[in-house]
Amino acid sequence: MAVPGNNNRMVTITINKNQYLAEEGEIFLLTAIRHNIDIPHLCYEKALEPYGACRLCMVDVVTCGKTEMTPACTIRVHNGLEILTDTPQIIKHRNLLFELYLAEAPKSEVIKEMAAKYGVTKTRFLKKIVHDDPLQGKCILCGLCVRVCEEIMGNSAISFINRGPYTVINTPFYEHNPDCAGCAACARVCPTRAIVCEDIGESRVMHSWSETTVALVTCPECGKSFAPQRLMEKVLTKLEPGLIEKIKNLCPECRRKYFTRKEIHKIPLTDREP
Amino acid sequence: MIIRSQADLESIRKRGLTKIQPNHPRIGIGVSSCGIAVGGMALYHRMQEIIQNNSHDILVVKSGCIGYCKEEPLVSVYIPGKSQILLHKVSIDDAERIISLACKGDIPQDLALCRIPDWDHITGNLVYGDGFESVPDYGEIPFFSHQKKVILRDCGLINPEDIDEYIGIGGYFAAFKALTSIPPDTIIEEVKKSGLRGRGGAGFPAGLKWEITKKAPGSEKFIVCNADEGDPGAYMNRNEMESDPHMLLEGMLIGAYGMDVHEGLIYIRAEYPLAIKRLTLALDQARAYGLLGKNILNSGFDFDIQIATGAGAFVCGESTALVASIEGKTGRPRLRPPRLTEKGVFGRPTDLNNVETWCNVPVIIGKGAAWYSAIGTKGNTGTKVFSLVGKVDNVGMVEVPLGTSLQTIIYDIGNGGALGKGVKAVQTGGPSGGCIPQRLFDTPVDFENLNKVGTMMGSGGLVVMDEDTNMVDIARYFINFASSESCGKCVPCREGLKHMLLILNRIIAGKGTQNDIKLLQELSDTVQKTSLCGLGQTAPNPVLTTLKYFIEEYDQLITPEGR
Amino acid sequence: MDEKSLDEIIAQYASPSGRILGILREIQIQERHVPMDTLKLLSEKIEIPLSQLYSLVTFYSFFSLQRVGEHLITVCMGTPCHVKGAVKNLKVLQECLGISGESQDGKYLQTTPDNKFTVEIARCFGACSMAPVLQVDGDLYGYVIPEKIPEILEKYGWKR
Repeated sequence: MAVPGNNNRMVTITINKNQYLAEEGEIFLLTAIRHNIDIPHLCYEKALEPYGACRLCMVDVVTCGKTEMTPACTIRVHNGLEILTDTPQIIKHRNLLFELYLAEAPKSEVIKEMAAKYGVTKTRFLKKIVHDDPLQGKCILCGLCVRVCEEIMGNSAISFINRGPYTVINTPFYEHNPDCAGCAACARVCPTRAIVCEDIGESRVMHSWSETTVALVTCPECGKSFAPQRLMEKVLTKLEPGLIEKIKNLCPECRRKYFTRKEIHKIPLTDREP
Repeated sequence: MIIRSQADLESIRKRGLTKIQPNHPRIGIGVSSCGIAVGGMALYHRMQEIIQNNSHDILVVKSGCIGYCKEEPLVSVYIPGKSQILLHKVSIDDAERIISLACKGDIPQDLALCRIPDWDHITGNLVYGDGFESVPDYGEIPFFSHQKKVILRDCGLINPEDIDEYIGIGGYFAAFKALTSIPPDTIIEEVKKSGLRGRGGAGFPAGLKWEITKKAPGSEKFIVCNADEGDPGAYMNRNEMESDPHMLLEGMLIGAYGMDVHEGLIYIRAEYPLAIKRLTLALDQARAYGLLGKNILNSGFDFDIQIATGAGAFVCGESTALVASIEGKTGRPRLRPPRLTEKGVFGRPTDLNNVETWCNVPVIIGKGAAWYSAIGTKGNTGTKVFSLVGKVDNVGMVEVPLGTSLQTIIYDIGNGGALGKGVKAVQTGGPSGGCIPQRLFDTPVDFENLNKVGTMMGSGGLVVMDEDTNMVDIARYFINFASSESCGKCVPCREGLKHMLLILNRIIAGKGTQNDIKLLQELSDTVQKTSLCGLGQTAPNPVLTTLKYFIEEYDQLITPEGR
Repeated sequence: MDEKSLDEIIAQYASPSGRILGILREIQIQERHVPMDTLKLLSEKIEIPLSQLYSLVTFYSFFSLQRVGEHLITVCMGTPCHVKGAVKNLKVLQECLGISGESQDGKYLQTTPDNKFTVEIARCFGACSMAPVLQVDGDLYGYVIPEKIPEILEKYGWKR
């Protein structure tokens, strides 16, 4: 896979009849963003494989005069690529998709703002109402949380449950899941800020995930609880054992101080400030 | 016994023939799933009991289904030297009479449907003999006379649980010829020349797909048979597997050899337990003869087939979802490219073909591409099996050359509406297809012409609707189906279909407005254009075609206030 | 399900193709549902995260989390069955057995309070020539009309 910035060949592409230089092999959505061409999207994340589920980034690929609607996150840049991002057809379908999102996640401010930006301020569809929705009526099932948890963190604490219009995301059997490391990557990656979690005392509670609770490490120096234990263990295994013992419980600030002291001692006195 | 030479195969063929045409009477009972449900299996056991108790010199065997479902249970009676007779609507009370007459070289005339003096199995021709002239000839029965049996060549005539009978009528001879004397690339060339197109619905040229798979980098590849026949109203594949499982295995063996692939999979839906049972048995029998496994037919070629079972999800008929399901994941389709031929089962290049596509292969190789492509029309060669069901008089399994008109299928073969009612429309292609009104019945059934009228071939279900059928209810039925079977990955399919269903419910409840019809149209368009996979992209077809051809039925449901 | 039985099932599925769904199917058939404890044990044994197994069980119609009653009635909802009266048959069944027509998670599966009968729907059995059809414990009944339903149920110990 070609990675931008890795001296890939520059090629010429056409977006909305204007020509641009772009790196061969790059995902077109990223190219477009870099050139300030606005394409709405919800399910794309650089660190993950393109998923193509939100359907908002659909653009027209022009080949031999014919157009084909394709998600921008799945198109790879190549020489002569021609794209139209704002044809009446694209706008029409995109607007209807926004209406569907407004009905599916009626509580999401992000969706409301995004839709409004494209001129869609209300929906003709019946709004979904879920009582005590752990995702606050904001989830649009883009799957980023599930994918981050599985593909990046390697935990798979949550997954899609049921199928079709009944699909939801949660822990198995809707109960506390020990597989959760409490990293909260899911909450960070969520485009609609639907996932609720909170640090309470020495634990982190993933409210959205059936109140899954993980223990936090408390810093012996300052007494602050700062990171999930399991996550710390995972990070620390990558360091030399002697060092781990010394720093394993320190919070990031105290750890920084420790390393600073250590580094200072390494430097010969003569090199220090005169 | 392991088959190593032509002589080995010939000796089994002879043995098989003596099972089909023994020198004493042979009675075959149609016991595919539907035959069993109307008493076929009970009849089989009863007959076995009678012949054992009386030590009659009569062979009673299971057979598959010849397709005339309306007349089931069907029983075939062969008296040595005479025409084979098909008996219809046989009840368990007839068992004794059939046997005692057979002992005397006779048949119950009142139960006789037709006689078969000889039969072209394509892989071989069987002459039964004359006699029973008062019984109509097979060719005189309208249900049969307009059909051309290529895929269903053996169905209902041989015992699907006995490989010897399949070899007896010339089965596995095409595989033998292929593996021992045809270079693999020539096999692919021949399939390309035959014009065979995928019978799962999309109609992609099979030979081309084979070639792409073969050229894909990597040495470990898969061939997969898609037996996840999910379209409601379609049961061709079930019948093909239940009635003639070796035809599928032979097709896969030839294909594997052509593509140089050594692992085969049959992905079959959980709803077909009998097909699973018969395929499992067929695989064991094929292995015992060395037709699967190492060094098949002493050719040096290794190949085996495994069965993977589905667990009830229509979307798993979609190729990438099917692969996910085999891998033990939820059947959520992924983006294409990469295509399966590049990245399929466990990331390895995979060729996926429908049951019926594979079933065509032995005859293409056995009789040649020229013979095959003479059937059907240019660009749509060969035959297609349809399940003719719903409100049609002659319900059953029908095989016709591609290009045959709906008129011929529904009226000449199907004898029009059931109970003398007028036919209003026919629904093809399952939830992905559309409803074609009676005035368009001169449409030739092929991939392109069905697309032109807004529907598609699909796997081959033809559901006939009569004057009592409400077309808006049919549209709602299909949207409900598609919505319940949506995987839920992309928003147009997950949410769009749900709202289409809500709107249709509103219209049917008499609370709809003209705006609802407009919104339905708008949603259909967006779901079709923006869905991720074929399920969503085609799901609006039943709505779009009913809006196009039966708009008055929608209008009738809109109250004056709604206009 | 005890550990030994589970181990036996797992051992039957050596090849990776179709393995996980195969194991789950076996569990469903033997236990008449997929029990929570079994799923957790399976997750440990085959080293697949529990969430992914749970996702499978809720995705595919063949599996159920609630135990299926003594007799399983499957009503075919294929198109030919639909145009020939399957909806009415299902209603009559619901009335006879006193069960609801509701579904919480998209799967229709209702069991009588005495745990004697469970009714589910199927997309299509492919027995279209005998539409409308239904299946009781694997036995297929064709050409079913509402009047015939009590008769069928009585065979399985239902009383009017």
